[in-house]
Amino acid sequence: MRLTRRDLLKASTALAGALAVSAAGWPALRRSLARPAADGGLPVVWLQAQTCSGCSVSLLNSVTLGTVDKLLRETLDLNFHPVLMAAAGRPAVAEAEKARAAKGYVLVVEGAVPTAEDGQYCTLWPGMTALAGVRLFARDAAHILAVGTCASFGGVAAGKPNIAGAKGLRDLDLGKPVVNIPGCPAHPDWIVGTVATILKTGQPPALDSAGRPKEYYGKSVHDACPNLDNCKKSYGKRFTKKHNKDKNCLACHDNNDAKHIKVGRHLAETGCLYPLGCKGYWTGADCPTRKWNAGDPPEGGTNWCIGAGAPCLGCTEPKFPDGLGPFLTLCGPGAKKD
Amino acid sequence: MAQTITIGPVTRVEGHLDLEVTVDLVGGKQQVVDAKCSGTMFRGFENILVGRDPLDAVHYTQRVCGVCPISHGMASSLALDDALKAPGLALPDNGRIVRNLVLGSNFIQSHILHFYHLAALDFVKTAGLLDASPWSAQCAAPDMATGDAAARLVEHYVQALAIRRKAHQMGAIFGGKLPCSPVFVPGGATKVATAADVTAFKALLAEIRRFIETVYVPDVRWVAEKFPEYSGIGRGWGNLLSFGAFDQDAAGTAKLLARGRVTDGAAFDAAGVDVDQIKEYVARSWYSSASGLNPASGATAPSKSKAGAYSWVKAPRYIDKPHEVGPLARMWASGDYRKGISVLDRHAARAMEAAKIADAMAAWVGQLDFAKAFYAYVPLAGPRSGVGMTEAARGALGHWIAIDGKKKIARYQIVTPTAWNASPADDAGRMGPIEKALVGTPVRDVAAPIEVLRVVHSFDPCLACAVHVARPGGPARRFVVALP
Repeated sequence: MRLTRRDLLKASTALAGALAVSAAGWPALRRSLARPAADGGLPVVWLQAQTCSGCSVSLLNSVTLGTVDKLLRETLDLNFHPVLMAAAGRPAVAEAEKARAAKGYVLVVEGAVPTAEDGQYCTLWPGMTALAGVRLFARDAAHILAVGTCASFGGVAAGKPNIAGAKGLRDLDLGKPVVNIPGCPAHPDWIVGTVATILKTGQPPALDSAGRPKEYYGKSVHDACPNLDNCKKSYGKRFTKKHNKDKNCLACHDNNDAKHIKVGRHLAETGCLYPLGCKGYWTGADCPTRKWNAGDPPEGGTNWCIGAGAPCLGCTEPKFPDGLGPFLTLCGPGAKKD
Repeated sequence: MAQTITIGPVTRVEGHLDLEVTVDLVGGKQQVVDAKCSGTMFRGFENILVGRDPLDAVHYTQRVCGVCPISHGMASSLALDDALKAPGLALPDNGRIVRNLVLGSNFIQSHILHFYHLAALDFVKTAGLLDASPWSAQCAAPDMATGDAAARLVEHYVQALAIRRKAHQMGAIFGGKLPCSPVFVPGGATKVATAADVTAFKALLAEIRRFIETVYVPDVRWVAEKFPEYSGIGRGWGNLLSFGAFDQDAAGTAKLLARGRVTDGAAFDAAGVDVDQIKEYVARSWYSSASGLNPASGATAPSKSKAGAYSWVKAPRYIDKPHEVGPLARMWASGDYRKGISVLDRHAARAMEAAKIADAMAAWVGQLDFAKAFYAYVPLAGPRSGVGMTEAARGALGHWIAIDGKKKIARYQIVTPTAWNASPADDAGRMGPIEKALVGTPVRDVAAPIEVLRVVHSFDPCLACAVHVARPGGPARRFVVALP
């Protein structure tokens, strides 16, 4: 289905409303996604290091800010992407090398970069480790995007004991700024929106202390969660004797304290998922409003983790996963219910 | 005179695959005489899982692969169901159905992605049709389609991008989000379905079924008509293995896709598939630890400069023989497709399987009973052990879990479909299925070996899945790849 200008503007306005973002920002976004130059689009080299390719698959789900075929044919010059490109072997490598020689490209890295044993745990192509390749391509890149939590912070690929010495780009001393677009996987809008901002302004969007665009990661899942009222009702009153009733209990208590709160809740029921291990309080992401797997515009996102009864894993956070597990605290029959 | 060529990276697969093929004249025809499949990326999931909370396994293992995460979520849930099962407690039908609906949605997404976005560009010239990166740079072979047929396939390639996106959208109705769905738990699923969910699912499914029936299947038929010689190319060993998937009852004995195998020409049903007969060999794999272990006692130590080794992928074998896994093996075991084993047969079986799953899902979604439970509480316990056997889009998948007395993961082993298919040779020198399938493949031009790519792509390889094992020990020394 072709995306018409009207469709996109309708979608933009609807989405802007949902996000409480000024609609004035959205027509500019649409213009910024049109081909920026006569010569062929924003050059991109997409390298895959220790990745599961989930972020690439997630990108393919892009629709709200532009479908992938539209992006590839009208906006981007995706010179190298191992999953999608037609060429194979040396001719494929030559495409990456051509882009590097021309400079000024956006380097995207998906996956963590193993550093142990001179990077021998991952090669991009024969003779080129991911470590050497990322360093080489970073040198002549105009912008560097770490797509997904693995590329941003190490993520699951760097989970203990991390035999391969996997690291996120920020720990590789590339000597240049890196924009982190974490998520496990990253949401397609976060990727496309960041690229759009670079196209429109020549610069990445405003970043938070973890190098993530504030626009997508600035608010915690908890702050926008539709279960928030239920949370306050369930837990707010209970502690008025001992606690300041305006202070959220999660400010001082982590999930391990759930058993002391004595509010059990079974899975597959509605309500706040905190006692089940939800990490939403500590997680910056706009999942509650943007949601995931959007339909054709003007439909927005279809569902999200908490919407499907599953506690948030905190997958956009630098601490994910080692610093956030265990992810599920089960309460059995007999636990006191609210 | 024999020439050895390296294709690296092999593109339009998931993950890191290098191929080394030796080409020579046999009976006057230039063809592949030897092949080595090399998986060139390693993370070490089985180590990452040791010591963690068993319930977290469903989340970690989904990150083995972003194309087939749901199959790992399913295998992990089944392994936990098996390990933690309480007597008299059955998996609620609703939970089983939700798991199947999310898995089925991802299967369809994966098959459509595979045919159009990974395989199709082997058969059409992109010049004049897809004149942009990443498609325009192509080593076009003279037999590739041009003109109207090519234009049609390219138009369908673009449509297929939207359809596979919608398959994920459909799966997210019950799965929360795709890829990587958090709704899988031992005992069922976290998602409680509503009538509105069912309506939305059915609407998307109808559109996707129409695409499969009127676009995907006819396009596969077109490839078969335009490239008929490929029904005689890429056979390999001829052994097939399916663990089966999509349980139709709580006991798991009735499955939509049957368990079964074909070994040396003899067919066996579910009774003939014994998970204890699986052994993993490492003679040609970069591990210094014991070879020939069953995953229930599996252990490996990485060693990158081991003599004679060329891959991070281990060599799983069933009763010591290489077996191909995937849609062809499943459709064969189910009795739905037994025409042959070749490049074309794999594509055909995959398309037919997509149709079969889509049809089945229309019935399953109507079986949800909103008045009943979607999940039955299963307490975490240890020491326990369990196995989860299921199928990913590209073949048989098994998870083995051992939980210790402290209720932490003591051991976790995963044998993935691409480990079966893209395995290197084993200790007895038997090639892996893809390697064997490549032998005999004609090569018109060693500088542009499109025939080799067509064979490899027919298996739908996923290398992130194939390499996942490690245990600390043994230094991995510098590895030098010999370039031609």
